[in-house]
Amino acid sequence: MEKIELNWKIAGKAGDGVMLAAKFFAKLCQHQGLKVFNYYEYPSLIKGGHQTGQVFASSEAAHCQRLHLDLLFLFHPKFLDFHLDALDEELLVLINSSNFDHSQYPQLKAKVISIPFSQLARQKVGDPLTANMMAIAASAKFFAFDLTKLTDLIKKEFVDKKKIIAKNLLAIDLACDYLDQSLSNSLIECRTKTLKIDQSRKKDLLLTANEAVGLGAIAAGLQFFSAYPMTPATGLLHYLAAQQAAYPIVVKHSEDEIAAINQALGASFAGVRAMTGTSGGGYALMVEATSLAGVAELPLVILEAMRPGPGTGLPTWSSQADLNFIIHAGHGDFPKVVFTPGTALEHYELSKLAFYIAEKHQLPVFILSDKYILESQQSMPQPDLLIDNQRLSLLDTVKTGSIEEKYLRYKDTETGISPRAIPGLNKEVYLANSYEHDQEGFATEESMIAKQAMDKRLRKIETMLPELPKPAVFGAPVKEADKILISFGSTINVLQELLRLLDDKEIAKPAIIHLPCVAPFLTKDFEELFDWHKINEGRQEIYTVEGTATAQLAQVLKANSRLRKIKSLLRYDGRPFYAEDLLQWLVSAKISEIYQIK
Amino acid sequence: MSIQIPDLLSPISPTWCPGCGNFSILTALKKALIELDLELKDLVVLFGIGCSGNMADFIKVNGFHALHGRAIANAIGIKLANHRLKVIVTGGDGDLYGEGFNHLLAAARGNHDISVFVHNNERYSLTTGQASPASKKGTVGKSTPQGVIEEAINPLALAISANASFVARAFAAQLQELVEMMKEAILHEGFSLIDILQPCPSFNKVQDNKWYLEHTRALKADYDLSNQEMAIKQVLKKGPIELGLFYRDQERPAYHQELAQLKNKSLVEQFPFKQDLNLGINDFV
Repeated sequence: MEKIELNWKIAGKAGDGVMLAAKFFAKLCQHQGLKVFNYYEYPSLIKGGHQTGQVFASSEAAHCQRLHLDLLFLFHPKFLDFHLDALDEELLVLINSSNFDHSQYPQLKAKVISIPFSQLARQKVGDPLTANMMAIAASAKFFAFDLTKLTDLIKKEFVDKKKIIAKNLLAIDLACDYLDQSLSNSLIECRTKTLKIDQSRKKDLLLTANEAVGLGAIAAGLQFFSAYPMTPATGLLHYLAAQQAAYPIVVKHSEDEIAAINQALGASFAGVRAMTGTSGGGYALMVEATSLAGVAELPLVILEAMRPGPGTGLPTWSSQADLNFIIHAGHGDFPKVVFTPGTALEHYELSKLAFYIAEKHQLPVFILSDKYILESQQSMPQPDLLIDNQRLSLLDTVKTGSIEEKYLRYKDTETGISPRAIPGLNKEVYLANSYEHDQEGFATEESMIAKQAMDKRLRKIETMLPELPKPAVFGAPVKEADKILISFGSTINVLQELLRLLDDKEIAKPAIIHLPCVAPFLTKDFEELFDWHKINEGRQEIYTVEGTATAQLAQVLKANSRLRKIKSLLRYDGRPFYAEDLLQWLVSAKISEIYQIK
Repeated sequence: MSIQIPDLLSPISPTWCPGCGNFSILTALKKALIELDLELKDLVVLFGIGCSGNMADFIKVNGFHALHGRAIANAIGIKLANHRLKVIVTGGDGDLYGEGFNHLLAAARGNHDISVFVHNNERYSLTTGQASPASKKGTVGKSTPQGVIEEAINPLALAISANASFVARAFAAQLQELVEMMKEAILHEGFSLIDILQPCPSFNKVQDNKWYLEHTRALKADYDLSNQEMAIKQVLKKGPIELGLFYRDQERPAYHQELAQLKNKSLVEQFPFKQDLNLGINDFV
């Protein structure tokens, strides 16, 4: 199959239907058998502003958004100013307007066509909001997509809403007629892509990482989710709330984040797999209860969806700057786990693993991710759909010796894991305690008992190490590369795209290390990747590539490994890294001032 | 088998001050639990932080000694995970009317089937006697040497206006009345609140048992406890502090009773040992 790649973008105000249009276009690409990445940018408001949906689709892999576009659809002519960087002679811009004044843009190389979709939608459909569907129809024609798929999508999206379906179908017909009659020549000239559909390809899912986390949670037997809405974690709340119709799950929209995490801990105590999700500010309110989970040894999974702080920050943009906050969150010493998945698939897999680790080791497990990947749609291979689940470390599943023996909920064991009774299911009763406690659960201030209790809990760290996801290496071998790039979380998507861009280039590829787990830090596995002779002689350049202003990942590496000389490539304006920018940096050692090298 | 006296026996003896109202509240709670036809395993008691919360160590039950102010939130999670459990929250006025009042109002609005017993001594006693939200204006304490400027809250009026379906006031020293009220509250299917007036002999010298006996009286026998509007008027009345059940709504379903997924089985009984993701991926294909 020939290599196909396409880049498409739509821009409008909030309320124009940009996000739905982008979702539909991404779906059309998926149904063409392509891998898809769909990246949204939007301001924190409901009407107005400037928002975009951007789809990169490829017959090979679509790790992230790309800089250069094939087709750009603008709801309003003035938005052209926002996109001038991405415009070149191969690009076609469709502008939703009855006329466009070319004289205002003398330098413009891209071809611009104005199509009065909103006017058409208002006059002929009676609903200007259907202009977004016209944009999709025009885009589909441009890339020679099968339009019946679009019809199917509309029927599925607006199921039971017959009038809306009829309006949108009419809008598509009108758009196609208009294009055929008025613009056929110019559009055909511009048509650069013709797709041959590969039907043999194994089915992919197209979903946001929020949804991948939710799907992984359901796979792992999640039954209780309590949360307070906060961008960019809200997508998980919405997905799981909708799943209540299909699965034995209760989703509670709580009065605040403190209630959300405490309700989840209550549910966990009562024996169901429980989770909460929020962003940095909301999680700040949950910190005390995280420590409660630690001392009472209650399983809990927490999604922390990063956006830029401090304070309310940039609510709808991306960041990785809660890394140190989450690693250190919670007063006192207690074991916890912090997963930092990269791709949608890894979000699915680590979400499943998070529930397993949380229940087995009776502690809080974080999925630390960011707006960039949580709210972007990405293709992932369809996982096994039939899942077997087991209960772990419960009193019933653990041999406790003679029945007459007194039940010790916090029994001091070699692994640090003690059998957990479930109220109502076991006849044994116990006290889950926020105070330091003896093996039975009663509060204590005895020095030896307090030390023993702390040692027992911390022992779980050693026990769980073999079960945690190890650092992953891409590109050149770490021991041979001149340059080593280290990242955590979503950045790996861009770094993998960078490797693809390097396939056609003469430049040596860097080694790339992706960390899917930052706490407990897998020091041994990490250090084994390196040739320490070379490192100590300074023969390799090591960079972290991270969405923080203070090189937090570099700090983590210095604290947990023998690495000392680490430079960092940082971005902290809320936007993602672009593979094209990183390529330029590798080629020329120069990079736009949007980035910072430390 | 119903709960017997030895079942509830903890190895730890109470550490409260002589004359503390917590003794009688603990006795009343034990008596209520024994007299109700409950199984020990089907009961969870949550404890706040404070003198009253220390009760966690003095009674052997399925217990949850929560963070300060948060026991009601934990209780809601427990009830939704397994609604076959009887769930009781016990804590002080600082904990439940101060730090965690938001959770109390939310629980009342949701009519979550939990019973909240507030040990109200109008003080933060474990931290040596500062004024609480229930303290009268002018109360002098170490944190308010010139006297509290705020007016005391009226927890009953707030709970009734938040549509709590069982709102009562009791006095710790009237043991039998308290036991009966606790039993009614535990059996009530929905959110119940008992504001339990309690002397603090160490940090509230004025309001001792004698003071409470002089300043309280029972609600009239012909009081209509089904009228929400009247109930609010009744709890706002100046004069002697009235004791009894001010408002009860037995029609309103409890929160968990409105969830279709809990209709046949509790959540914990439905653990998905076999999970099928076909429905979960419906939007992604």
